[in-house]
Amino acid sequence: MALFPLNSNFQGDFVIQLLPVDTENTMDEIAAAAAHHSVGRRVRPQPTKVMRIRRHGETEFFPRDMKLADSGLGPTETIDVMFADS
Amino acid sequence: MALIDRSEWYDLTRATSWTPKYVTEEELFPEEMTGARGIPLSEWESYDEPYKVSYPEYVTTQREKDAGAYSVKAALERANYIDDADPGWVSTLKAHYGAIAVAEYAAGGAEARMMRFAKAPGNRNMATFGMLDETRHGQIQLYFPHEHTKRDRQWDWAHKAYHTNEWGAIAARHMFDDIMMTRDALSVAIMLTFSFETGFTNMQFLGLAADAAEAGDHTFANLISSIQTDESRHAQQGGPALEIMIKNGKKAEAQKMIDVAFWRSWKLFSVLTGPMMDYYTPLEHRKQSFKEFMQEWIIGQFERQIIDLGLDTPWYWDEFNRALDETHHGMHMGVWYWRPTVWWNPAAGVKPDDRAWLEEKYPGWNESFGECWDVITENLIEGRPELTGPETLPTICNMSNIPIVGRPGKGWNVKDYPLEHEGRLYHFGSEPDRWCFQQDPDRYKHHLNFIDRFLAGKIQPMDLMGGLQYMGLAPGEMGDDAHGYSWVEACAAAKAKSTAA
Repeated sequence: MALFPLNSNFQGDFVIQLLPVDTENTMDEIAAAAAHHSVGRRVRPQPTKVMRIRRHGETEFFPRDMKLADSGLGPTETIDVMFADS
Repeated sequence: MALIDRSEWYDLTRATSWTPKYVTEEELFPEEMTGARGIPLSEWESYDEPYKVSYPEYVTTQREKDAGAYSVKAALERANYIDDADPGWVSTLKAHYGAIAVAEYAAGGAEARMMRFAKAPGNRNMATFGMLDETRHGQIQLYFPHEHTKRDRQWDWAHKAYHTNEWGAIAARHMFDDIMMTRDALSVAIMLTFSFETGFTNMQFLGLAADAAEAGDHTFANLISSIQTDESRHAQQGGPALEIMIKNGKKAEAQKMIDVAFWRSWKLFSVLTGPMMDYYTPLEHRKQSFKEFMQEWIIGQFERQIIDLGLDTPWYWDEFNRALDETHHGMHMGVWYWRPTVWWNPAAGVKPDDRAWLEEKYPGWNESFGECWDVITENLIEGRPELTGPETLPTICNMSNIPIVGRPGKGWNVKDYPLEHEGRLYHFGSEPDRWCFQQDPDRYKHHLNFIDRFLAGKIQPMDLMGGLQYMGLAPGEMGDDAHGYSWVEACAAAKAKSTAA
């Protein structure tokens, strides 16, 4: 377990934000942490959707249960947090 | 005693140079200070400044300018304009003074470098006046806000801002250090006087003066118009220097300096002047939109000057034009959302009539930036103010040192432009920001932006209060909504009306 800084680029928001997470966090947990700083603040919730994470600018999402430590993401790397159907 | 007519001596004195006997030319004009780039002294002696003035003429005119500005201030001081002014306009003044006054004083040092080290005699002559100009601008823009320090502590930031690690102050310092404090004399002529002052000071000192006059702030309108008469003179130092560079085969180097300095200036203005013109200035006093001012002073005039000199518009000109519809709206929202981190009280500027104006000036604003403001406004209407303030930090660009923003909502396009250099991952807010870094990585690579400092543990405790303390913002100094959220009532009324309908 270790604190790990990422940059969150949340779909629909206007700014990229610093996102402190943990290497043991799953992608779903990271998405929830990112949502805390965007959804309901400047981005409307989309209750019928799930939030998925991908490396910034890529099209493939990481598996939802993948741990950050296994993702290959580096410190301060930017992730896109996207609303998706599944 | 009869004086010789100016026309008989002026050209001789303004072009006076000399051949060093006791030291070498390299010792007299070290390359790192002069930056002549191998162009011989004889070429620099052909420098022909378009605006010619003698010292007696200069001091006579400057005395008249000062007498005018100071007498308007003295006459209106008792009217206590500030006490009745719209809080949004007051925020414009506080932001302006803090971001500008001490930088002007620093610019005196940049002018002094040209005065001593420029190889062109005419440049040295003009820079002497330029140095005196900037000293005047520093002094007068510290003196004018000083009368307001009795009103609240934010006014003290006219002097304090540049002496702190407040994020906006870091951004402004980084930019001005880059283009004027740490460059050779020739680079200063091109990056400061030509690239920054020719276009952008017009925006700040003439565009804003128009808004000030509309707002009835004749003291400020008079002050900054007076400053701009100096700027428009000493900004002309870069043009003839560019002509000599181009004539001597240095066009590519000149172009690169312009491209770097122009982009850096634009980004700083997007966070400083954009919000002032489109959000803080009360709607009824806005002369033009920020974009319209930019189109008039930058697209119209600066572009023409570049072309006339035989240079090209910067390679990112299309991106710059596109960003005029976008960047400053994001900067404004960021400043308002992180409002405790600035030394002024940001005005939201999003009442229903403001929003109609924004949509008219920037078609598509409602479905992009307006979407975010809808959520913020609803939180305030429905009693959730805690959701309208930050719990983390925005990601900061490693070149502009301001947040990485883009278009939200429909057409979402927020993008990071990362770069790994010597094992360190840098983040940039645009391709031109990254390009600026890539032109001279050794120059920039060691700088730590606010986030880098936070992650390096230099800001303790690692939370908002620790950040505010690091920035030097004490209670009474940190910003809050300019109008005390009174604008929310108008939004609530409009919402109720539309629901009823």
